[in-house]
Formats: sequence, structure tokens, C-alpha cells
Amino acid sequence: MFTESWHSVGPTLDECIKCNICTSYCPVSAVTDLFPGPKYVGPQAQRFRENGQPQSPDHSVDYCSGCRVCNEVCPTGVKIAEINARARAQIVAEEGIPLRNRLLGRNETLGKVGSVAPALANFSLHNSFSRVMAEKVMGIAREAPLPHWSTTGTFGDWFKKTQSVRLKSDKKVVYYHGCATMYYEPFVGKAAVAVFEHNGYEVLVPPQNCCGLPLLSNGEFGAAEGYHQNNINKLLVYAQAGLDIVGTSTSCTLTLKEEAPELLDMHSENVHAITMATWDIFEWLRERHGLGELKTDFSEMNMVLPYHAPCQYRAHRIGKPARDILVLIPGIDLRESQARCCGIAGTYGYKKEKYQIAMDVGAELFNFVADQGEAVEMTACDSETCRWQLEHGTDLPSRHPIEILAAAYGLYDLDKRDLVNR
Amino acid sequence: MSDLLVIGAGLSGLMAAYTAVKAGLSVNVVAKGLGSMHWSAATIDVLGYSPAQPETAVKRPLEQIPALIKANPQHPYALLTNEHIAQALAAFVALSKDVGVPYGGAANPGDNLLLPSPAGAARPAYLAPKGQLAGDLSRSEPMLIVGFEGLRDFFPELIAENLNKLGYSARAAFLPLKLATNRRDFTNVQLAQGMDSKEQRALLGPALKKLLRPGERIGLPAILGIKAHATVLAELERETGAPVFEIPTLPPSVPGVRLYTALRSYLQNLGVNLTAGMEVIHASAVAPNGTPGSIQWVESATSSRPLKLLADKFLLATGGILGGGFNSEMNGRVWETIFDLPLTVPQNRADWFQVRFISPEGHPVFSGGVTVNKAFQPTAGEQPIYGNLWAAGNLLGHCDTIQERSMEGIAIATGVAAAQALSS
Ligand code: SF4
Ligand code: SF4
Repeated sequence: MFTESWHSVGPTLDECIKCNICTSYCPVSAVTDLFPGPKYVGPQAQRFRENGQPQSPDHSVDYCSGCRVCNEVCPTGVKIAEINARARAQIVAEEGIPLRNRLLGRNETLGKVGSVAPALANFSLHNSFSRVMAEKVMGIAREAPLPHWSTTGTFGDWFKKTQSVRLKSDKKVVYYHGCATMYYEPFVGKAAVAVFEHNGYEVLVPPQNCCGLPLLSNGEFGAAEGYHQNNINKLLVYAQAGLDIVGTSTSCTLTLKEEAPELLDMHSENVHAITMATWDIFEWLRERHGLGELKTDFSEMNMVLPYHAPCQYRAHRIGKPARDILVLIPGIDLRESQARCCGIAGTYGYKKEKYQIAMDVGAELFNFVADQGEAVEMTACDSETCRWQLEHGTDLPSRHPIEILAAAYGLYDLDKRDLVNR
Repeated sequence: MSDLLVIGAGLSGLMAAYTAVKAGLSVNVVAKGLGSMHWSAATIDVLGYSPAQPETAVKRPLEQIPALIKANPQHPYALLTNEHIAQALAAFVALSKDVGVPYGGAANPGDNLLLPSPAGAARPAYLAPKGQLAGDLSRSEPMLIVGFEGLRDFFPELIAENLNKLGYSARAAFLPLKLATNRRDFTNVQLAQGMDSKEQRALLGPALKKLLRPGERIGLPAILGIKAHATVLAELERETGAPVFEIPTLPPSVPGVRLYTALRSYLQNLGVNLTAGMEVIHASAVAPNGTPGSIQWVESATSSRPLKLLADKFLLATGGILGGGFNSEMNGRVWETIFDLPLTVPQNRADWFQVRFISPEGHPVFSGGVTVNKAFQPTAGEQPIYGNLWAAGNLLGHCDTIQERSMEGIAIATGVAAAQALSS
């Protein structure tokens, strides 16, 4: 019997039986004529991209958001989204990268630059004049929900500053925070550290860099390979020591596990070691719970909580672990969204020509949240860009499930988005 | 961890999940992708042609089953009494009403319907969604078959001509595509979603009325809404004053999508988590000497380490060679992909097919499958192979569901029966 799926990306197109189930479920082709749908740009067009074909036959593949609904529903296991991502990389290789995509692909650099003087950076980015200019010059949609740099220091600053009070333990876990937690949402990292420590784990935060996903989804494969190799170099000793590498960003953990190795054809033993050591935080917590090791000393929460599992879980193929844990908390009336995608799809919805498509795709989710009634005060989703889109589309605050869990442990204030001082 | 893990999200898997959850079990469903229902006409075929008389449509299927079993004592229907089958079908009809996609049968209870196929053939089916019932060819009204200019894969002239050849009165007409959609490119499912909006379908009724001659009924491609399907159908009948029916199209099939979507969300509300995109790739079993083995867990492929799926009991409903429950190699080897259960499928490629493509005997590769006992447990000889594994649906061997037109009947009857057996 097999221990892993025997398909790699390329040959899976031969499995296509042309049933069009993928096209029927693709949220992008549902709202725009600019995108004919997964079957056409994926397994069909791919036939014409083989063997050094100089020009891609189908530029509409750039409208694929990478949500992977198609992969999930395909009955025969065609890796459509990955075929599309490779096709986009081929177009980039042929035609170069627009400045905007170069910028959006460099979340980490942006994060670092902005964090030098975050208040100023927030002002320069978020005033309406610069948003109009950004749209005109670079094609970044002026309405799109760009993040704010943290004005209270980065996650790294906080972690260093609080070293003396951090838990020391034989049980250790490596935390992969990703760029969004580092520069924009340090509170997500604080909540994660609090939950780890509450369950008796010492948290290690070794040097790490951007996972490279924004580069991959913008087709910059060369740069992404460098990022991934750096992470391998930095994290390998921990994986080899048998420690779990756990992340709060569903897209970063996916990239470390599979996205980078598969798209970049990186298949060394070391790359594989990182794949096998990496966990999404709720996947990891669910595993602890299965072993009877998760603390369940929750306080009653008393809230109606619409929860949207981000598209990346679809690619993780681990079900919905955050749902599986959140339902354990007494008093949470969890309303699970069945919407296909929030629309933002990483950096997709920031692009001027795709902003409206992203909002139309997200309507399914926004309407679902609206249908849950007046009692709803916030929503939850594991992925940062999805949360920003959810807030943009619903006018309600959105939280990472780890913030909710930390609050249920009594460690975190959901309104202030900070640890409770005890 | 659940009481029961169903592997496969086709009709038999979902009927089994429904039956088990009603019996008080906690149930999860995992599937590699979304399958069979999306490419089926969504009719419930119990027995359309009996192998003894492959050219003549069966008139009263349940009455024919005893003869079928006599000729083929290992047929899956032989594991059940006729009452069991009738009860399972009745349970499906009741469920179809509860989920909002009601089904019905022929005017004379127990008869097969005869429904126009997208090629204009007369197709026997035991039950059909309400939207297809007015197409029953035992009714006398002449048919107006209406298509849309430029709509792929639906040819009113072909349908009408073939129906006329069979002695049923029908004529073809076209409407401009813009009455169905403003889109440049679309699938039937997207057309149907468009019809959910009142603005999109506003012009359709009056246009149809213009084409209609007195006494006719109207046949349309199956794109009449998804969520608002019942309303769309009622509106069109009211505005035209004529019975309206859908003819299922090539995949993806809107009636199948409706049924799947409705069943899925109904089950979700009963607490059944259905996760697609999860391919089960491995089973861990223990087999102490002399006793049947036991499945401890199965594993599905993830982006990293395989995911352990724990349950007390497992039900395999992954379909056969068509549904993807079996895989094959060029040399003809065919195997069941998860538990490597013994199959009756010929293992030599030369033995897979008859010489003639359209062969009345059917092709052996389609009639092979898993052998189960009366409790729907896969067996080797007399013994169940695993004490906590059951199987149902189209992976069962000893029948050619394509030739017999018995696919959904077997899916429902065996899905329900297997779930009852494992719940008791
Ligand atoms: S990944 Fe999403 S947007 Fe891209 S083709 Fe698949 S379903 Fe459509
Ligand atoms: S769902 Fe899979 S098999 Fe069907 S058309 Fe799409 S890629 Fe092909």
C-alpha cells in the first residue's frame, strides 16, 4: 500500500475525465467571464504548454486565485491549482514581473521597512491620496484591505523583551510566526505563545524568514526558492532534533510543508524533513487533544461566532482543525461557513483589475455572516489576509481562532487584542 | 474519532451516513472528490433492463428482481428481500422531501417511468426529481423541446426527431441564448445558478408561451435553477399554462448537483462532517490468528504526514472502476485502493471487454467488484475479512449496473442496508 499519494503535479492532467465539476464549483469563473475556469486553463491548456512551448496559450490563467476549490472537488485527483501556478510562473518568466507584483510578493521586506517607523508608514500607506496614487501607478486597488503595521513593536521585540518570564520546560515547540504576525499582528503570536505555555510547552522562536508564498503566487519562483532554502538552513536542526515546527499562518505552514517543495521541485531529504516537522497550530492542538494532552479548562465564552475555514486548509487536506477545537469551548455557538472563498486569496484581491472579482467571490461569505443575525460581534478565520477581507466585507472585527482559544483560557482580551496581565 | 467513518460521498455513502446518524451513531464522511452524483441524471434507476431480455425495458422493476436473482444468485439485490429494497426506496423518497428536492414515480405505482434522454431515447427510471416527471412518455401530451442557440451539448432537434421515431410526438424550437444568460462562457451549473435570480428568468416564461401550441408540454435542458428550482418550475408552469419538465444534460448535471448539495447540507445539520479533497491512502489493521482482522484507523494524504482517521466502524462506498474506488494498470491488474479487498474483476486486460463496444451482455470489467456477505461485510470465503468494515454501492461485484440500469437502486438499497447492519 501507499504511504503518500502517488501523483505528482504534471502527470495528473492525464487523470482528467472532463467532467467539469471543477468549473461548476470554481468561485472565480462563477463571477467573471474573464476566467473560463479550471478545466480549461488547467488540464486542457496544459497540453499546449508542454515541451518548451514558448508562449503560454492562455493568459487568463492569471485570473486563477489559487483557492483550490477545484482540487478539492475533482473526483480524479487532478492538481489543477498547481498546474495553474506553474503556468503563471511560466508567463512571469517570459514577460517579467510588474512592479506591483514584485512589491506584493515581498511582504517581509515591506514589513521590515514599515516597522522602522510604523506610524509614519501607516499614514503614508493609508491616506486616501497615496491609495489613489498606488492604484494609478501600481494597480493596487484603492479600496482593498491593506494591513496596518504594528505600532507597539514587532512580535520579535516582544518575545525578546519578555524572555525572562517565558516558560522553561522539557517539552519544547518551535513557533513559526510568519511575516504578518511579525510586523502587523504581533498579538496573534502572543496568543499562540500563551496557549503553548498554558499547555506546558516552552516556545522557541529561532531566526526564520518569509516562507516565500507571496512570491510563489505571483510567479516569482526563483526568488521563492532562495527564501525556502534559507528557511531549511535555519530550521533543519530543530526538525532533526525531533521538534515540531508550528505556525499560526495557514499559508506559511502550507508553504513549508508542500507548496514550496512541490512547485519548486525541491525534493531533498532536508526539504522533506521540514515538510514532516511542520504543523498548522490547530492541527497540532487537535493532535494533542487526540492524545488527551490538551488542557480544556475553558471559561464560558457566550458568543455567536461565524467561522470561515481559509482556503489553505483545503490544500493542507487536514479537514478543519480549528473548528474541531473551537467546538470544545463552552458557550461558543459556532456557525461554520460553507462559503467557498473570501475572495482575497493572498494578494489577488489587492490588484486593481481583480478587486471587484474578489469582492464578488466574497459575497457568498459576507452574506453568510450577515445571515447569522444581530448577536454576531466578530468573525473568526485562521488566515490573516482572509480576516482583513472579512472585516472589509462585513464591517465586523475578525479574529484568529488562536485568539479565541487564548481568551477561552482566560489569557487574552479579544477587544484589546492583548494578553491579560495577571 | 467517530462511531462510523464513511469513505465516499456518492449516493450510497450519503444514504448510509443518513441511516446511521438516524440510528444514533456519530458519523463522518470523507471523499477524494465530489463524484458520481454530479455526472448522473439524478434519476433513481432500480432495474431498467434485465439481462435475460436486454433489449426490452423493464416495466415493473421490483417484480422483476426475483427473476434477476434467480439467474444471478450473487447479485447485490439477492442480499436483500424485496421489502428491504422497497423500504429503502421509500426512505429515500421521504428524505428527498425533507431536503427540499422531492422525488416521485410513475402515475401507476410500481411502474418504471420512461423519460426522454438527452439523445431522445426513452430511458426507464423508477424515481425522478419532480422537475423531470412531466416528461414521462406514458403521458399523451405532445412535447415541445426547447433549447438555446449556442448552448453546448443540448440538441432539441435530435431529441425531437428520435422521440418521433419511437412514436412519441415531439417538435423542436430554439430561444436566443440571452434568455438564459448574458455570459460569454458558462457551464450548465452556472446557467442554473443564474436562473435562481428573478431578473434573469423574467423573460423566459413569456418567450416560451409564444412558442407553445395548445395541449403541448415543454421540455427544457436541466438548468432551471439550483436553490430556487421549485419556484422556477412553478413560475414557468403558471406563466405558460403547460406542464414543464427538464431533460438532464451531459455532466456536470444540474439535477445531480441539486441532490448532492441538498443532501450534504441536510447531513451537515445532523452533525455529519463531510470533507472532500481527502484521499484515503492507507489502512492500519490488526489480524489476530484465526479471527477476522480489525481496522484500527485509515490514513488520508495531506500536505505533510498522513492524517489518521479514527473510528469504531468503517464503511467503504468509494464506487467501482468508474467511481474511483478501484484503480488499474495497463496490464489489466485491478485493485481496490484502500483495503486491497479481493475483487471479482478480471485481472487480465484481454478479459475486460466484449468484442463489441455496445454489447448486450455488458463488459466484464464493469460487473466485477467486492463480494460481501448478508451483513454487507467484505468476505474471503465465508469469513468477513475485517470485523468492523462494511461496503456498499457500486463497488459491489456480481452486477453490471450500467447494463441493468440499476445504479442508484443498488446504491440506495445497499447503503441503507449496510448502515442498518452496522448500527444493530
Ligand atoms: S484554484 Fe480556485 S480560482 Fe483557481 S481554478 Fe481552481 S477553483 Fe478556480
Ligand atoms: S473536476 Fe477534475 S476530472 Fe473533472 S474536469 Fe475538472 S480536472 Fe477534469
